[in-house]
Amino acid sequence: MSIEIHQLEHTYNAGTSFAHAALKGIDLTIPEGKVTAIIGQTGSGKSTLVQHLNGLLIPTAGSLEVCGFHIQPLLKIKDVKKLRKEVGLVFQFPEYQLFEETIEKDIAFGPKNFGVSEQEANALVKKILPLVGLDESFLVRSPFELSGGQKRRVAIAGILILDPKVLVLDEPAAGLDPQGAKEMMSLFMRLNREEGKTVLLVSHDMEHVMKYCDHVIVLDHGKVLHESDVATFFEHPEWMVNIGINPPGIIRLKLELRKKGFTIPDEILDADSLLECIKGQVKNHE
Amino acid sequence: MNAIEVSNLTFSYDGQVDVIKDISFSIEKGNYVTIVGHNGSGKSTVAKLLIGLLEAKNGKVVIMGQELNEKNVYDIRSNVGIVFQNPDNQFIGSTVADDIAFGLENHCIPQEDMQTIIEDVASRVNMQDFLNSEPTRLSGGQKQRVAIAGILAMEPDIIIFDESTSMLDPQGKASINRQIQKLHDEKNITILSITHDMEEVAQSEHVIVLNKGRIAMEGSPKDIFKEEKKLKEMKLELPFALEFSKKCKEEGLIKEEVCTLEEVVEQLCQLKSIS
Repeated sequence: MSIEIHQLEHTYNAGTSFAHAALKGIDLTIPEGKVTAIIGQTGSGKSTLVQHLNGLLIPTAGSLEVCGFHIQPLLKIKDVKKLRKEVGLVFQFPEYQLFEETIEKDIAFGPKNFGVSEQEANALVKKILPLVGLDESFLVRSPFELSGGQKRRVAIAGILILDPKVLVLDEPAAGLDPQGAKEMMSLFMRLNREEGKTVLLVSHDMEHVMKYCDHVIVLDHGKVLHESDVATFFEHPEWMVNIGINPPGIIRLKLELRKKGFTIPDEILDADSLLECIKGQVKNHE
Repeated sequence: MNAIEVSNLTFSYDGQVDVIKDISFSIEKGNYVTIVGHNGSGKSTVAKLLIGLLEAKNGKVVIMGQELNEKNVYDIRSNVGIVFQNPDNQFIGSTVADDIAFGLENHCIPQEDMQTIIEDVASRVNMQDFLNSEPTRLSGGQKQRVAIAGILAMEPDIIIFDESTSMLDPQGKASINRQIQKLHDEKNITILSITHDMEEVAQSEHVIVLNKGRIAMEGSPKDIFKEEKKLKEMKLELPFALEFSKKCKEEGLIKEEVCTLEEVVEQLCQLKSIS
């Protein structure tokens, strides 16, 4: 079931002199079973948008259809509590939200909160650990003695244990070393391919968007500026720079070379074909 | 003269497992040095040892010719500024000006001098228009620039950046990287930057690679990047520009591998005009 968003608006502090319209007239369809990137500058409304997907924020106008739930203005939190099981939201730097004495307790907190018995919850924890690349020796350890990357795996396990259909990740790889980032992204790709989860990724890292995502949504000043598949998005890179998006290395190189008089077609998006293209042009001059 | 000299430094959090294992290095005054290494390699621990936030089990730290000890730790800290990772964890004042003033107040700088210093350092990080702003209204990059201003006010010889850009968006990241480069160019400040950003590594003068608490490699970015296999084994990656220039070299397009996109473009353009 895809996610449908109709004329969604969100104004913070509506009716006061601090009123701020963070989202204005958003119309979107987020495809099911795909990996969708949501990008845009700081303050463009990305976080406000994703917090609507599990009912953390309720629209001030417009509506959403998410996993069979209809979300519209004036809904109460209790109306959407079950939605939180369907849509797992992983905040930026989720390791700061760890709080329990042991990793087992921390991961089991979610299911217990939804009424699962302690025994069942602990059994679920054992099942979920290998999925995030941790083994059972971690169960009794304190989450606070782990490295940043390991803590983040624990925090993500705490979301995955609820078996959400949709996974929303806010900058899941920020602050990790390149290898750690790669492992984290492979984990989400596996969840998408093998478990069929719909993945939404808020990211500033265009290398990740290019490599891992199927679909791209660009927000700017609370509006949808662009929506397309990934290849189409990166074929027209000039305007990215204008809205403050730092394109991937390959695209930046392509733009610089174009400025210097090289002819490089739009559809060239990887290093090998770029090299082939340049080779031809250098030899032509010989 | 060496700004930082570390000899045979060993440190353990629990008294059993050493996380820093007998490391020695020195950083010349005015140099711009980056430390890289995978998560958990001991990078931030080294930073904390350098300013005496942690106490070494063995070995010594010498800052600007002075050996760090219990007595001089506060003097040394006023000479070594540190910018941490999380921009929200290092704001103290209720306005930008108050925040910059904090360090000055601690050092009993007269009120009448303070205003001039605050205005001066704020304009050096391009935050002069925000002196009365509340921290919550600033972006992450702006907050980190205020942190840098607070440090500049103390006129330190050394500034340590402990993954200061890793929580920022690309624009914030770029503004801090420019700021670091500017500090290095105009003032004789020694810069030690702990980072995962290989593009920042390429802009520094000297690189120290940490792996499992030991120094695995040390040298200029070019020398370090030559060791591609070793870097990958240590979970590090090459900057895109270098990867691409390697491919160009294999094809005989360019003679020398380069680390930045500008250099790649320059080399290819030369080729275009010669041929």
